Amino acid sequence: MNPFTRKVRAVIRREFMQRVRSKWFLLSTLGIPALMVGLVFLAGFFVSQSDEDLGRTSTIGVVDPSGRVADVLVEELLADSVLAARAEAFADATEEDVRSGLSASPYDVLLLLPPDILEPPPEDEADRREPGERAKLFASDNVPPAREREVRDALSRALVRVRLAEAGVEGVDAEALLRSSPISVVNVTQTGEGRSQDLYRGISFAIDFLFYMVLLIYGQMIIRSIIEEKSSDIVEVMVSSLRPWELMLGKIVGVGAVGLAQLAVWAAVLAVTALFGMTSAGAALAEAGFDVTTIAIPWGTTALVLLFLVLGYLLYAGLFAGTGATISSETDAQQAALPVTLLIVVPFIAVQGIIQSPNSPWAVVFSLVPFFSPLAMPPRLMISTVPVWQIAASVLLLAACVLVAAWVAGRIYRVGILMKGQRANLPEVVRWVRHG
Amino acid sequence: MNAPAIRLRGVSKRFGKKTAVRDLDLEVPQGSIYGLIGPNGAGKTTSIRIILDIIGPDEGEVAVFGSHDIEAERARIGYLPEERGLYAKMSVIEHLVFFGELKGMDRKLARREASDGLERVGLAEEADNKVESLSKGMAQKVQFLATILHHPDLLILDEPFSGLDPINVDLFKTMVLERQREGATLLFSTHMIEDAERLCERVCMIAGATKVLDGRVGDVKAAAGRNEVAISFEGSSAFLDAPGLVERIADHGHYVEVRLLDGADPQDLLRRAVESGVRLSRFELVEPSLREIFIEKASAAGVAPEDTPEEEAAA
Repeated sequence: MNPFTRKVRAVIRREFMQRVRSKWFLLSTLGIPALMVGLVFLAGFFVSQSDEDLGRTSTIGVVDPSGRVADVLVEELLADSVLAARAEAFADATEEDVRSGLSASPYDVLLLLPPDILEPPPEDEADRREPGERAKLFASDNVPPAREREVRDALSRALVRVRLAEAGVEGVDAEALLRSSPISVVNVTQTGEGRSQDLYRGISFAIDFLFYMVLLIYGQMIIRSIIEEKSSDIVEVMVSSLRPWELMLGKIVGVGAVGLAQLAVWAAVLAVTALFGMTSAGAALAEAGFDVTTIAIPWGTTALVLLFLVLGYLLYAGLFAGTGATISSETDAQQAALPVTLLIVVPFIAVQGIIQSPNSPWAVVFSLVPFFSPLAMPPRLMISTVPVWQIAASVLLLAACVLVAAWVAGRIYRVGILMKGQRANLPEVVRWVRHG
Repeated sequence: MNAPAIRLRGVSKRFGKKTAVRDLDLEVPQGSIYGLIGPNGAGKTTSIRIILDIIGPDEGEVAVFGSHDIEAERARIGYLPEERGLYAKMSVIEHLVFFGELKGMDRKLARREASDGLERVGLAEEADNKVESLSKGMAQKVQFLATILHHPDLLILDEPFSGLDPINVDLFKTMVLERQREGATLLFSTHMIEDAERLCERVCMIAGATKVLDGRVGDVKAAAGRNEVAISFEGSSAFLDAPGLVERIADHGHYVEVRLLDGADPQDLLRRAVESGVRLSRFELVEPSLREIFIEKASAAGVAPEDTPEEEAAA
């Protein structure tokens, strides 16, 4: 039997059209991508501001009690054209002298080296000099991370040069000697494609975040829609024309179609911006080691991810519909929806960890448990190779759970929508489910 | 020849410990105007919801036009619930088309019927306006139209006149009676017995979840006999204190309806009135009103007095 009768189609059309034509839909559909693009530009603006900051020449004074490193270090510092450096070796300068002398000195920053700077630290403690034994950079103003890195790099080059020279090796380009090769992580997946892990992590997190928003926003929308029908006394006419489960089905499908339409618009906006407008961001990502043009999520994965979204939506929409039927006023809505909302929030919190280690036991458990799998499985699918049995088990469990939830929600809905006034308590709801 | 429009057999419904409907039998012949009378809370709305299969009975069976599959008959039913509302954000015409579709109408047909209907009730101008911009009276008209748009063969109206302004009451009566003359069956519930008395051929009286009386209005009244006297007077009502004559008095101040004891002679009461010196402007043997009959039957059935219908001025 086809459940999508003319009546159900009428409900779906009404739910869809009313929402798509609302101001809210226009604002959120266009507003959220605009907000995202705006944030990207804003971030770009700040980055370029700090670049400009870095572009300004600043002066650095080197205080070197050992007297053996300063000259070479100044050379290395000057190799970075933005720095003006001058070395001064004060064999007996203490930290207190440097600290108090900074403002009176002609330098923007002062670098104080420890006396034993040339002694290599013990092997197993390479990076663990006690704070008192470390080189210190004194500055009256904030030191940008990029500037700090320049100084650190120059120092390590200088130390290598001085140590080599003292060991009798001359005329070596220490910088060239230290140059390493960047590493790309290549995951060999079923499709044999290599993937840049960080980029895929970022993308799958962004997609999961959208799913999370869709589940929450559209779930709340279903609750509001049910309360509206109850509070405007329209529901009785409705259920005299079609069965409660038909009304619930029409509502869930209609509202879900709005969500899909919104996701489609967002996807289109992102695709278009990626193609035309975002070349600068693309270049920036490429520079950082992310080649946007290599992003390729196979169609099979895309279909699976969408399947999880749709099943997840159906599961939560059913739960929200059942919840909505037990209440009559907006004020009760937030509180009543809390348990369902928590079921969505928990896996989303776990997603951070799942993205870091997608095949850990916890990630596997989360992606199999029906209420969590809609948010926990998609990132795994996108960034790692998930065993087929896990995918199959997860989909089957989720689908079974959707059916059970729909049945329970239908029973609650059937009784609940004609109830008025106070919120139904749990024993009462259990009775509705058992006796319908 | 025809199956009754509605037939209930031994229908009962309980909500927790409370019985809303007890062992109700009801047969509404096709083409009739049937009144379901009873005080608020007597079980009228529950009965109607059972007929419409909105809720299922705990016991008993329900048939509409002879069919137990009420779902299949829904397109033939028009229902106006007591609690009635509209979607505030939809336009008037969309709303009507939507309800038409819920009754299985084709979109085009629903649109045409909706436009015609709006024209008739003088709301053609409002077709594209949102429901929330309508006045209360206009919204009521839209609700009627939504109820009869699909030309139902059975109209079920729950307290249809409560909260209506007088002009809409007349309009609505006209529209509903028109459908009835075209052959539709009309079942309406009311706690205002005077409404039912004027409109219905048949009534079913419910009090405290139980049917107390059922039948043609004429038969019901005939069976109740003619020992009812309507008296309008000025002066003291002391003459009414006649234990050998009077069984019960419906006291409306200077107008009373007196039920005489079986075998009592109205002439004796008239004599007492004249001798007591009150000025009579009316002394008439009348058929008992449905209200009188209802109260009598309800108290005979052991229903508490506060459960009897309150008097309300019919609009």
